[in-house]
Amino acid sequence: MMATDAPLLRGVALSKTYGAFAALNDADFSVRAGEVRALIGSNGAGKSTLIKILTGAIAPTSGSVEIGGQPAPLGDPLGMIRRGVACIYQHSNLAPAMSVLDNIYLGRQPTRRFGFVDTRRQRKEATALLDRHGIAIDLDSPAGSLPTVKQKEVEILKALALDARLILMDEPTGWLASADVARLHDTIRALKSRGVGIVYISHVLDEIFAVCDTVTIMRDGKVVAESAVPDIDRARVVHLMVGEKLARDASDAALQKRHPRGTGEVRLSARALTKRGVFSDISFDLHAGEIFCLTGLIGAKRTELVRTVFGSDRFDSGSLEIDGKPTAPRSPVAGIGRGIGFVPEDRHHEGLMLDMTVTENLAMATLDRFRRGPVLDRGHMVRAGRRAIEELSVRPPDGNKVVRRLSGGNQQKVLVGKWLARRPRILILDEPTVGVDVGAKAEIYAILRRERELGAAILVVSSDLEEVMTVADRIGVMVSGRLVAVHDAGAVSMADIVHAMGGGTA
Amino acid sequence: MEDRTNDRRSFLKVMAVGSAAVAGAAAGMLGTPGVQTEFAGVSRARAQGTRYKMAFIQWQPHTVPAAWSKGIEEVLKPQQVIDYELLDGQNKVEVQASLMDTLISQGASVIFLQPIDSVALAPSIAKAKRAGISVITLNIDATEAHAAHVEMNHYYGAMDIAKAMGDAMGGKGKVAILNAPPGIIIRDQRTNGFVEGMKQHHPGIQIVADQVADWDRKKAQDVLNTILAANPDLGGAYGVNDSMALGAVDVAKEKGLLGKFVVFGNDGETAALESIEAGELTGTQYTDVYQQGRLAAAAATVLATGGVAAGSFGQQSRLLMPYVIATKENAGSIQPSQRW
Amino acid sequence: MSGFSFMAILAMGQAFPILVRGIDLSIGATVGLVGMVVFDLSLIFGMPGYGIIPLALVAGTLAGALNGVLIVYLRLQPFIATLATLAAFRGLTYTISGRQLVPGLSTTPIRDPWITGIETYFDVGGWLGLSRLVNMPWVPLSFFIMLAVFAVLQILLLATRFGRDTFATGGNHEAARLAGIQVKAVTIAAYAISGFCAAIAALIMVARFTTATEALGTGMELTAIAAAVIGGVSLAGGIGSMFGPALGAFLLGAILIGLTLQGVPQFVQQIITGLILLAAVGYDRLLLVRRQRRLAMAAAV
Repeated sequence: MMATDAPLLRGVALSKTYGAFAALNDADFSVRAGEVRALIGSNGAGKSTLIKILTGAIAPTSGSVEIGGQPAPLGDPLGMIRRGVACIYQHSNLAPAMSVLDNIYLGRQPTRRFGFVDTRRQRKEATALLDRHGIAIDLDSPAGSLPTVKQKEVEILKALALDARLILMDEPTGWLASADVARLHDTIRALKSRGVGIVYISHVLDEIFAVCDTVTIMRDGKVVAESAVPDIDRARVVHLMVGEKLARDASDAALQKRHPRGTGEVRLSARALTKRGVFSDISFDLHAGEIFCLTGLIGAKRTELVRTVFGSDRFDSGSLEIDGKPTAPRSPVAGIGRGIGFVPEDRHHEGLMLDMTVTENLAMATLDRFRRGPVLDRGHMVRAGRRAIEELSVRPPDGNKVVRRLSGGNQQKVLVGKWLARRPRILILDEPTVGVDVGAKAEIYAILRRERELGAAILVVSSDLEEVMTVADRIGVMVSGRLVAVHDAGAVSMADIVHAMGGGTA
Repeated sequence: MEDRTNDRRSFLKVMAVGSAAVAGAAAGMLGTPGVQTEFAGVSRARAQGTRYKMAFIQWQPHTVPAAWSKGIEEVLKPQQVIDYELLDGQNKVEVQASLMDTLISQGASVIFLQPIDSVALAPSIAKAKRAGISVITLNIDATEAHAAHVEMNHYYGAMDIAKAMGDAMGGKGKVAILNAPPGIIIRDQRTNGFVEGMKQHHPGIQIVADQVADWDRKKAQDVLNTILAANPDLGGAYGVNDSMALGAVDVAKEKGLLGKFVVFGNDGETAALESIEAGELTGTQYTDVYQQGRLAAAAATVLATGGVAAGSFGQQSRLLMPYVIATKENAGSIQPSQRW
Repeated sequence: MSGFSFMAILAMGQAFPILVRGIDLSIGATVGLVGMVVFDLSLIFGMPGYGIIPLALVAGTLAGALNGVLIVYLRLQPFIATLATLAAFRGLTYTISGRQLVPGLSTTPIRDPWITGIETYFDVGGWLGLSRLVNMPWVPLSFFIMLAVFAVLQILLLATRFGRDTFATGGNHEAARLAGIQVKAVTIAAYAISGFCAAIAALIMVARFTTATEALGTGMELTAIAAAVIGGVSLAGGIGSMFGPALGAFLLGAILIGLTLQGVPQFVQQIITGLILLAAVGYDRLLLVRRQRRLAMAAAV
């Protein structure tokens, strides 16, 4: 079915800035009725920001959105819903204790007088909807008790019940098995034939070539290309996603200084590590003097894995050895005691004391060192802080600056520096450059490389493929709680990694 | 018929209260448990195997209600037909009210009550009366008429404190009152009596401060220190209970004013009497609280067994306790068994 | 039974803030405040009871709504916001206390028939002819008020749009917001209902005592929260009904009065209340962990 010409939705010159950081920069975006448009880009490219603007979850800093030729209200979820924009989010958006029926009609149950819910009508409409789309689901079971696949169906039903004209799907297949993916694609084609516009966000290129008509590629908050799917190939897509210069840098870096397996000394060894319902049968070695990157889609359970290695979470079976000695870190304190440093993904909540100064944050993990009797030696702390600030090139180089006032990149440097101060033998970083600008990224990479030269074993979790290709010595790919592939970075292309992330074999 | 019954009842009421007072006084004089406080009714009950249930709902655990309860038990225990228990009102009117409800439905014959609020417990008392249960209040009266009210002589006692205090100060100077928080009748009685007593006996003495110290020794120290800062020539302090007076003694001791600074308390608890004997506290109003309990218990026995209907009290009898102004001269004559 | 009815009403009101994943620590203080408003209107201003009752309900509802506004617009933690209003309402109660402003009022009972009428007893056993068979206690009006509150709130929760929105807001706040539910309004309404229930409880207590004290309601928030949680209202939000809290209040009330009659000291009772609350919260937490675990398992399949 051909898409009609008039755009169903049009976003013009949309920008969103957080402080100095531009999450979205002057992006134009449009979808026509009956069109399935893929929206792709690596992490931090601005896709999520764009989606949030289109659903009304946030208001753009500048720019406008039109729906059916009429200007739409900004930052108003209800207004967007009324105009027929629905969204299926990556994360579940169901009220787990409420029934499927109530979830489908969340926030807009048909009512009789005095706000009484018209349950009979609600059930009749829902049953008709199920019949129409051939979906079988128990309307009365609590949504939280259903398997994830069924929960996705409930979310789709939720959108369908709205008579949505435009459905945004953010990584809709992230948790689905391949049979369910095919089924979802059938549903999408059916919706398309009824003139519904769909925005399809996915890292899995196969899916995009299978179901999408057009593609919009984003990078660094900008729209870098738009094309019809038949007019573009995989290599070109990956190239556009990654960016020319970085791709070249990455391959240069790949040729120059890869140290797979570092010094050859195994620092950390995981064998058949399993945490029921989360990840299973994970085996890998981490060597001194190497950077090992774990990549994969959101929901691949990489964070859960490294938290377990650090000791924040426990595992159910398998074994973990550090320096050849079996260990089962039961708490972060135990992990730190074994020489592991952990830089968490959410630096605001888990990593930094935002309202304390740079010096105080830097000294946080090593306070014992600055103790003179029961009191802290402030002067010593300041001197050590000044040294660290210089090494990390934190800007402005002012130890008394409150961390909240720093840019994201410099906050991240402080966070990394806090752990480096302990000279960890094993350093784990979870998404170390999310929300960090390009310059700071390069500096963080330089810090990691320097630590590697000093003999640390470094484990990096990253969804950012450019980053993985730039910094890794070896790359592990996780899919749905399994480590499906481990490659030497110099011997693998980004396309192979992307393919493996989508569940294919490289 | 109706009138005659009423007459008979009011007569019985007077009888009951009167004999209770006598019996209680007798028990107190003997000073030991096991006294003969038998009444015809009790013998009859014992013969028939009837048991009576009585309970005391206190405000919250404290030395005074504990001593009352001891006195009550001394009288009730030997009679062998009365089950008595002490219940904790937890300083909450709703707890006292629901304890009243429970006792009513359990069919108690007499309830001793130290009401937290004079009005709030009145409906419960009315309910008890309808159920034929006599209520005896201790120290704090209720607005609903009930069988009897046994209280310390707050007002006149406070007047006598004022007199003794003025004498000790030589009839002139400045005093401060360390007071309880407002909202309780006995606070007003103990304060107003003191003010009136000063006016009558020692018009030369000036009351320069009246501040709240929450019944509390520690708080009283802080409050008195503040007052002394503003009035360095203060000659004495009156605590409306002994705890606050002892707080004032602490301050006098610390500032080396002991002997020069006159401090009077109210209640007469053991700690206060010991302080008087040690020459620190100048004096206090002593009431034999055990005796107060015995008196109430004696009245209760009559009410339970003497056939006086609880509903017939149009107005309760008030039993005022005798008291002594204890000073260094006479404190030694208060026997250990009378101390609480 | 009237001794427990007000606690059941408080627990049912408390269920609403908990359902939207909040908590209302201020209800005890709201009871005190509304009680004092009734006291002042009746004894100082001589207002008739049919005028006082609606004003008291409005006062309680506004006090509750204030909590909601603080939480929604100042983005305060419910715990902090209602802890602050707890102190503020109690302080206000002392400030406006007619017992202290006007000498003699502390010993004057409220005689207004509209108010004292709330504490009326009915011989239900007699009407039904049951009293010939068993000895039935008379049932207080407050018990029927409790039943009415139960019916209204239960219908509100289970059969109306507002009820679904409440469950959705507590069950998944973000999903509710994205579904276009006015989560702010729902939250404020939940606290307003809590305040409204506190006002009803205050009226019942004033009727029972024919006066109001400044300390009225002190500590009741903990019993109400315990009753709600024992009654199966999940502290994680979005789960619960009115039946559990009402029953929880009666059970807890029966246990506590039983302990008092057994001569168990107040402090030990507080420990026991705390342990019961802890056990209920722990059980609630256990259920939550199990739910999450099940979800994780399902996700891994």
